[in-house]
Amino acid sequence: MEKQLRPMIELKNINKSYVQGTNSYHVLHDINLTIAQGEFLAIMGQSGSGKSTLINIIGFLDDQFEGTYFYYEHPIHEYTRAQFSSLRNQNVGFVFQNFKLIQNISIAENVGLPLLYAGQKRAYIKERVREVLKAVGLAGYEDQLPKNLSGGQQQRVSIARAIVTKPKFLIADEPTGALDSETSKEIMALFKQLNHDNETTIIIVTHDPNVGAQADRLVHILDGRLTEDVDHKPKGDANEVH
Amino acid sequence: MKFIELLKTAWQSLKVNPKRSFLTMIGIIIGIAAVITIIALGNGVKKQMIDSFKTTGSGEQTTTIEFMSTDPNAVGFKPNDILAIEQNFSGKVQKAQIDTKTTGIQSYAQFGNATDTRVTLGVTTKPIADSLIVEGKNFTQQTFLQAKPQVLITKALAKREYKDIESAIGTPVFINNTNYIVVGIYRQNQLAEATEPTAGDVIVPKDVYFANGTSKTQGNSLKLTIAKGENASKVTNKVVDYLKKNATAKDQGEYSFFDLGSMLEQLSKVMDTLTLFISAIAGISLFIAGIGVMNMMYISVSERTQEIGIRLAIGATPSNILLQFLLEAIMLTVSGGLIGFGFGWLFAHAIAKFIPGNITAVVTFNSFLLAFGVSTAVGVIFGILPARQAANKNLIDILR
Repeated sequence: MEKQLRPMIELKNINKSYVQGTNSYHVLHDINLTIAQGEFLAIMGQSGSGKSTLINIIGFLDDQFEGTYFYYEHPIHEYTRAQFSSLRNQNVGFVFQNFKLIQNISIAENVGLPLLYAGQKRAYIKERVREVLKAVGLAGYEDQLPKNLSGGQQQRVSIARAIVTKPKFLIADEPTGALDSETSKEIMALFKQLNHDNETTIIIVTHDPNVGAQADRLVHILDGRLTEDVDHKPKGDANEVH
Repeated sequence: MKFIELLKTAWQSLKVNPKRSFLTMIGIIIGIAAVITIIALGNGVKKQMIDSFKTTGSGEQTTTIEFMSTDPNAVGFKPNDILAIEQNFSGKVQKAQIDTKTTGIQSYAQFGNATDTRVTLGVTTKPIADSLIVEGKNFTQQTFLQAKPQVLITKALAKREYKDIESAIGTPVFINNTNYIVVGIYRQNQLAEATEPTAGDVIVPKDVYFANGTSKTQGNSLKLTIAKGENASKVTNKVVDYLKKNATAKDQGEYSFFDLGSMLEQLSKVMDTLTLFISAIAGISLFIAGIGVMNMMYISVSERTQEIGIRLAIGATPSNILLQFLLEAIMLTVSGGLIGFGFGWLFAHAIAKFIPGNITAVVTFNSFLLAFGVSTAVGVIFGILPARQAANKNLIDILR
């Protein structure tokens, strides 16, 4: 399937600094990044390189930054905090390193939560949750509690929750960081499948070169600067990094 | 997010820590229960006060004046006395008539040739319980059908008048211009209600007692019907004062009016003071309970920082989070309020049994609304700050 290459995310001259105590940290320096719809992108960097800060901005979690961010040509840098909530809910799914499932509610309720906040009807939620759990290979686990599942399974639940609203893009922050290598492969395969089947844009943040190597496009970040952009599978277009 | 889903979420969170939730509710339960109890009792006293004036359908009230004579032949209320009352108090007293009551009639009885003895007389239309008869016979159907002048007297009275109770049977007793024959001796029923004839000393057939010509036009008990809008106690007291000065029998006895109304009014005043006092204590209890709720909610918010972060990350708005935590606090206090209402109801009815004067606790819908409203208010007031803290958490800090 040929990927559509309409620009989805356009970051221009993004700078981010914060003050802690008397020290000021300049975390991101003049980030310029364009991500097209349907891409499978990996952002690699050491811890402290600013990669989490970058995806917080991309994923509408952080509205405190300098520069411009256009999402499908909408000026995200002008949005308010309240607008960010529905933007997140409708456009982005998050997968975290430590899964971040709510422990006292069932798998089905965890997965259905984004739909509840979107105001969907219970019957639709139930059906959709069943569907996505099947897609991540966890059919029949609806009524289990998160603690009864293995790490790999919990990460699948977390992915199911991320895709339940049919988001435009997924952000996965070290999705395999807490998993063994075998399970990591399975999770990566699942990401590839989602990217391929649904054309969901996937942005993976990792410090693991093996994970990074599986993405279609690889961006390195070091000390808050994007230093490299290697297109593994050149498609003859200009995914530029300045 | 739909409101019902927020409610479900709040309920689920409270269920995680049932013990903590319950302990937090106890203060609310005690506060609300105390208020409901005292209000229910206060209402009971007021209701009793209104009922005791026997307000008729048209809003009239009736009172009763008793005459306690020192002279056995004296009659407290003669036809001319009654006429005088009706004339002097026209407009205030609608009607004055001899109270043809059936029990507790204060009368004099002459046993044989002895001097008059003061007795409490009751009339009846059927035989008394056979188990109470200790000597002689009970009344029979014939007694009432043929209006026989027969009398039953208590064992204590028989002992006093005749030395041994057997010799009392068959002797004559002169009561209210009629000669009765003693047919049986009965054991006074100490536990009987005042409306039972067996609570008194002497029982005679009703028809015989009232067949005597004067019983309906004169007697020692006068029933007044007070005009609408008048203060029954005041009017009756004035009538008593008037009788003390002007009645035919003013020198032969004492007129008195058992002012149940003013007694209950005093009780009501005491209840009002008590209500205020207990409400103040309950207020303090609710305030402390509210602080407990606040404390628990703050702990809950900091414990569930991760959960808040997750919810915000997947699309909850800060106001969703605020509402969720506020609803948890309200659910906690309202549950406490409703349980407290239930306890208050039980306590009020239990306590009413130990208060003299036939008071029954009256729990109204307003009391329910009060319990519901106050507990909701406590939840909102003490839940809003922790809920706002939860809603204003910095998402980036949580997810780091």
